[in-house]
Amino acid sequence: MTELVLQALFSGVLIGGVYALVALGLALAFGAMRIINLAHGELVLLAAYMAYLVESRTGLDPYFAIPLALIVVGVASWILFLLVDRIKDHRELNSLILTFAIGIILTNAILLLFASDVRTTSSAFLQDAVSFGDVYAMRGELIAFVLALVLMGVLWWWLKSSWYGRAVRAVSSNRGAAQLMGINPTRIETVSFLVAGALASFAGIALYTMSVVQPATGHALTVKAFIITVLAGVGSIPGVFLGAVLLGLTEALTVTFASSALQELAGMVLFLLVLFFMPNGLFGARARRG
Amino acid sequence: MSHSASHPAAGSPAGSSTARGIALGAGLLVLALVPLMVGASPYMLGLLISALILAGLALSWALLGNLGGMVSFGHAAFFGVGAYASALLAARLNVPVLLAIPIGGLFATLSSLAMLPALRLSGPYFALAILAYAQIFRILATELDWLTGGAAGLQRFPSLPTVFGLDLSERAGSYVLVLACVVLFALVYVVIRRSHVGTALRAIAESEDATRVVGVNATVLKTWMLLLSAFIAGVFGALNAHIIGFLEPDYAFSGIWSVMPIIAAVFGGYRTVLGPIVGAVVIYLFDQVVAKSLIPVGHQILLGIVLAVMVLVAPNGLSGLVARLFPRSEKHHAEA
Amino acid sequence: MVRKTLASATFALALAAGSAGAHAEDAPKTFTIGAHMPLTGTLARSGQAFDEGMQVAVKMCNAISPKYKVKVEVIDDESTPAKAVSAVEKLASSGAVAIIGGYGSNIVGPASDASDKLGKTYITAGAVSDELTARGLKTFFRINNNAGYERGIATLLTDLKPKSVSIIASTKEAPALLAAGLDKDLTAAGIKVTVHKFDPAITDFKPIINKIKLQDKPDIIMMSAYENDYVGIIRAAKVLKPNVKLIVGTWSLATPKMYTEFPDLMGNVVGTSFLPFPVEVKSEEGQTFAKLYKEMYKKDIEYLSTLSFVETMVLCDGIFRAAEAGTLESGGLSDEMRKTDRDSLLGRIQFDQTGDNPNFSLSMGQHRDGKIVLVSPKSAATGEIVYPGLPW
Repeated sequence: MTELVLQALFSGVLIGGVYALVALGLALAFGAMRIINLAHGELVLLAAYMAYLVESRTGLDPYFAIPLALIVVGVASWILFLLVDRIKDHRELNSLILTFAIGIILTNAILLLFASDVRTTSSAFLQDAVSFGDVYAMRGELIAFVLALVLMGVLWWWLKSSWYGRAVRAVSSNRGAAQLMGINPTRIETVSFLVAGALASFAGIALYTMSVVQPATGHALTVKAFIITVLAGVGSIPGVFLGAVLLGLTEALTVTFASSALQELAGMVLFLLVLFFMPNGLFGARARRG
Repeated sequence: MSHSASHPAAGSPAGSSTARGIALGAGLLVLALVPLMVGASPYMLGLLISALILAGLALSWALLGNLGGMVSFGHAAFFGVGAYASALLAARLNVPVLLAIPIGGLFATLSSLAMLPALRLSGPYFALAILAYAQIFRILATELDWLTGGAAGLQRFPSLPTVFGLDLSERAGSYVLVLACVVLFALVYVVIRRSHVGTALRAIAESEDATRVVGVNATVLKTWMLLLSAFIAGVFGALNAHIIGFLEPDYAFSGIWSVMPIIAAVFGGYRTVLGPIVGAVVIYLFDQVVAKSLIPVGHQILLGIVLAVMVLVAPNGLSGLVARLFPRSEKHHAEA
Repeated sequence: MVRKTLASATFALALAAGSAGAHAEDAPKTFTIGAHMPLTGTLARSGQAFDEGMQVAVKMCNAISPKYKVKVEVIDDESTPAKAVSAVEKLASSGAVAIIGGYGSNIVGPASDASDKLGKTYITAGAVSDELTARGLKTFFRINNNAGYERGIATLLTDLKPKSVSIIASTKEAPALLAAGLDKDLTAAGIKVTVHKFDPAITDFKPIINKIKLQDKPDIIMMSAYENDYVGIIRAAKVLKPNVKLIVGTWSLATPKMYTEFPDLMGNVVGTSFLPFPVEVKSEEGQTFAKLYKEMYKKDIEYLSTLSFVETMVLCDGIFRAAEAGTLESGGLSDEMRKTDRDSLLGRIQFDQTGDNPNFSLSMGQHRDGKIVLVSPKSAATGEIVYPGLPW
């Protein structure tokens, strides 16, 4: 039993790291602009397909696709921002619908370009098993987890110490006041969307190396990312990580102690409980009630 | 109650626009009967039935969004509960189908009671909380196989009966029934909008804090809108189930039922009564007839483009577009 | 009024589309077969594979028939019953003589009902629920069924005489049905069975595999699932290395395609199969199919393509026979179909009163270094099973 639980905990934490990577971009754009980018999962998926493109065409390791993914997803993310920025009225609702529409466009564009086959890395190196005593993982998962930790560290440091980072936080806490202080909110929001795009690129490649992707995967990723954002509470990078790990653990332990058919159910119930009983999220600072 | 006090929200009812609305509604109703008169093919009627089911769902979504100020991403929850409840009642307890359908709606209402805690949440949080409910219901429908038949689904439950010589299970009959339901709920929507409740609700949408001071209980009114919206969605879910004659969790609680009403309502203009209905019919026929023939695989890409363009160019939908292209004579009704 | 004009324009357009092509069958002796398939969404992969098999079959039918020709018109049903019904109605109104059905019993059920109402013969290879044949439709036919899959897998598993088997089953309709059937069959044969149901949304299978490894300790892991799930399950198993002797799956697993795409995962894995690979088909039809498929799609034949190839060939035969007898226009196709008795890549095909193919049973094939060896049942085997045999 101990072994079973240990493995579940380990798997849960590892998958949580990648969930965090997927959620980070969404949480950042949400924190900065109060906009939920419903195309975020599709951006991640786009990066995963870039990894597939590079691996299948050149035989190189999927991580060599990082520059390509950064460019493609970065441009997509920028266009997305330009469109969202054109919305003037009822920004919250209309941006939801706009990004949702862009998600539909991206999913179908991927379907048209890459067909509907299941894709995942064929690298034997990434698929190899690594063990620590009695617990096991795939090497790709470990690499993705470390990557997630590093990126979160960098992002956290960037938000905390750089001028841009402080400006992002200023705009997200009070747009008007930030403007008075000479910060151009549009520029700051552009930057945060681009950073979100970059995070999506890494997330997509990580996903490709440790899981399977299909054109229809994007929407599920967005939902998962949003759940984590809620668990985290707005404006907390460590919160995103902890929220993601909590979700990963909940899922893994549900499989271990109950049934794998109930895994998604457990995630959703956790989401609702936090939403109802912890209005600021587990680690957030601000309220979300109307 | 005078509505002449001009209201910034697009399409809010006002004096002469009432007459316009009635005329427009009647015109559309006549138009809706044309396919019956010219004897449209079963294919055409089938498409229209699906479009009207969607129209009903879009109406229910827009009612919650417009009057309740709440955006839902999970109307599939109500649609699916209504469908399952009605099908099970008719199959297991031999409840007559035409009675089972509204009871299915009541079950959907009942299920929405579980969502009351979500009413306190703001915008996107509410939207995604409802989405979570839809997922939970889908999984429950899969897991409770002693009741729902599980993943294998429900088959062979009664279809629509024959009433006054009109076989409702035939295409033409189903069409008339679904159309009648859409009209009925549209009228209910109109009546509520024009009542004191509607005025209070619009005031809440403007500023919840202000109305609290005046003594309007926002939560109670919003609750009523949620219950009503759930009922309407449930009824259309039930209608659809008996028309299709087959149910499984993945279908009854499919994301389609959450997503398409949003697209339809936004496309048509969710702040009006006719907008979601017209939007649903136009968008469904566009997707199935035009887009599908242009791009057989991945035709939803056109749907996405249309929706994106609509939000950017005409955020108030078709109805807003019409209002902008044909500004009303009375100046004070012009869009701000 | 723009709104009104727009609406009526759409109506006019749609009406035109609905009534157009009522005389499409004017072209002499070319018959249209209608088909609805999921070409988008999560089942798009299956729909496209089905489509490929149909296209090859049509080409072959036309090549051997000087007198009559067929063509296929495919509509995306988006895995939605209402849209599948619409597709059937549209195809029927544009002159299709018969319908080939899509994927999943929830889609095929309503679609074949609609087809029956319109008097069109309907054949499917993608819906296995018993409820479908229980309806007693006169126009409904299918070449495969749950019982056949169950029998094929149960035959192999009981022959291997394991002490216990763990079944990992998707909660989707067909895999859930198969898992339930196998649970019953194997338990009856004195084998200990544990079923692990999983939600199709999950991607990390390690917690399930670990439960199997530490609690069930079975001899065999059986997967009742789809392609993307197989990849996740086998990968997790490769990492955790449970002490089992064999990994068995079902449809779309023992195919050259899976080996080409996931060579590291497929070694010794067993799945349902019709043909060994490289194709050693004795029948000319099978050889031509494999050759033509490779020409047209630059890849080796796939599982679902084979199924749809066979159903389309059977349907073509029926159409040609009915056309020859002059009963095609008067609804004689279903009667002709019921007279079907032919050999195929799936073995002998016949239809009983409910339209089911009672002969349907599958062989089981094992991946062996890029080859697929048929290992069960004994009558069809092209080699001995490697047992124990694992991908790691």
